Parts: sequence; C-alpha cells; structure tokens
Amino acid sequence: MTIKILSVMLIGLGGGLAVGAGFVAVLTVFGILPRLMQISKTHARIRSYEISIILGVLFSSWYGLRDMTITSSPWLLVPIGLASGTFIGMLAAALTEVLNVLPILMKRVGFKEQVLILLMAILFGKVFGSLFHWIFFVHL
Amino acid sequence: MDAEAVYLRMRHKLHVSPNQTVRIKDLAQIVGPDLVIEKIGQIIIHKITIHDKNIVIIDLMKVLKAIRDEYPSIDIQTIGTAQTIIEVQYKKPKMTGVYFVIVWLLLFIGAALAIMNFHEDVSMQEVHQKIYYIVTGRENDYPLLLQIPYSLGLGLGMVLFFNHIFKKRFNEEPSPLDVEMFNYQQDLDQYVVMNENSENEKKTHDNQNT
Repeated sequence: MTIKILSVMLIGLGGGLAVGAGFVAVLTVFGILPRLMQISKTHARIRSYEISIILGVLFSSWYGLRDMTITSSPWLLVPIGLASGTFIGMLAAALTEVLNVLPILMKRVGFKEQVLILLMAILFGKVFGSLFHWIFFVHL
Repeated sequence: MDAEAVYLRMRHKLHVSPNQTVRIKDLAQIVGPDLVIEKIGQIIIHKITIHDKNIVIIDLMKVLKAIRDEYPSIDIQTIGTAQTIIEVQYKKPKMTGVYFVIVWLLLFIGAALAIMNFHEDVSMQEVHQKIYYIVTGRENDYPLLLQIPYSLGLGLGMVLFFNHIFKKRFNEEPSPLDVEMFNYQQDLDQYVVMNENSENEKKTHDNQNT
C-alpha cells in the first residue's frame, strides 16, 4: 500500500515537473514576458512576474483538478475573460512571429506599406472568429 | 594625379530604374579632394540591361579595378561593406484595390478559422465552462460572460504584442514585427550577396571574353 502511494506520488511529481518545465519553456520561446515588460517599462519587476505566473499555474491546477469553487459573482468573469483573451492573443501573435509568417507574406504580396491594414485583418479575423465560435458555432 | 588618399564606402543598397547606367557616385560614398571625387564618381561600373533581372551585385573589387584602370596612382581606402546590392525597379505592378481586398479577406477568414480550430483543439469550451464553475460555483454550458471579454481580449493582446496596429505607438521602440521584417530582409540580402555574386562575376567575365 505504502509503495503504491509512494509510486503514485512520484509519478505525479515527475509529470508535474515535466509539464511545468515545458510550460515555462514555451513562454520563454514566445517571449511574451519580455514584450510586456518592454511596453510597461518594468524590467526590474521580473521576479514578481515569475511569482505571478507560478501562482496562476498553481491556483488553476489546484482548483481545476479538484473541482473546487470560490462561489463569487459571475461579473468576476469579465476581467478574467479579458485577461485570458489578451494572453492568448499575445500568444497567437507571438506564434505567427516565431513562424516568420508575416515578413514572408508581406514580401510575397508586396504590400509593404499596408502591413498595418493586413495585420488588422488578422486581428479582426481572430476576434470575429472567436465571437462566432462562442455565440453560434457551439450551438450547432 | 598625386597620391592623395580617397576614402570609399560602398552603399548597402541601391535602387535603379531599368536601362540606367550605374556610376561610382551612385554606388559609393567617396571622400577626398573634390576634383578627384568628381572624376572618379563619373566612372561607369555597370549598365543595367534586361538580362540583369532585378538584382545585381557589384563587388568592391570591380569598383577598385575600374578606378585603377583610369587613375592608377590614386590611393583608395575602403571602409565598410564589400558589396552593393542593386535592385532594379521595374514598373511597379500597380497594387489594385481588388487584389488587396482579396488578400485582406483571405487573412481575415484564415485568422477566424485558425482561432476556431485552436479553440476546438484545446477544448476551450470545456475550459471556459470549468472556469465558470470555479468562479461562480454554478454550471453554465455557454459562459458568454467569460467568452465575450475573452474574444475582445484576443484582439487587445495582438495589439499589445505588435505595438503599433493603430498608428499610435505605446513607445518609440520598434515592434517585434519591424525587427522580424528587418531580419528577414537582412537574410535575403546576405543570400543574394553570396549567391548572385559569383554568378554575376561569371556572366561579366563571359561578356569580356566575347
């Protein structure tokens, strides 16, 4: 019995280590954090940001995996939704960046000056696609 | 002509029109006695023809050779890059509105589809239902209160990342996209310098032989 418990704990710890390390690695590759610090000019606070990420991960995995609830107002969901959307948006932008899609696309289609308008196409496309998904698509 | 030093620095890139003759003063910045500069500057290095396609690489050695042929006694000091990339600008294909609209729509629809696929891929709906439950303690199959701000946040996140979607920048630093475009152009330039160069030399050599 003890061996069983210990091995399950070991497996859990090992899995958590791998996933946690992978998560941080992905964040590092996308460079979202440096970008946010560059915009807000708060390079000195990097340690607090690290703690914030760790706490966020711990909180969501703890509550999410254990089906716990904090039973508060649904309006709290609005800032949460906005923040998570912003994060995913940055992730998506960083992903197109890493894949080098835009420079090649701009070169191919030859609209170097209209980059902004084309970027807006992607941006509005994302927002529209997302709204469409939640409001209509999930009902199909 | 006496042996006064002339400093020569090849420009990185030069845009020319078809059938233009390329002189040294187009290719390089020259510093030295005015009279000498004037004379050197007029030396013709290359005449753009239809065979040049749209990129020609002029090597520094070619320029030096041309100068030495005319004025062997000039002391030339070179600074900076060893090649100039000449881009021949043929009549710019007029970007028609229709073409632009098609590309715009392509990106719009593609982005919309990509984000929907992403949501399905990571079971975003279930995650949102879970978040709704964690926060409120109630079940809701369609947590729009979370999802609509989420969708708007997507756009906001991209604006933040690219920094300059709506003209007004948050700060003066170049956005990651600017840097990325620059890097890409740099790589392209390096590629053509390495690859077009040797070919070009061969071509001019052939011409000289005939």
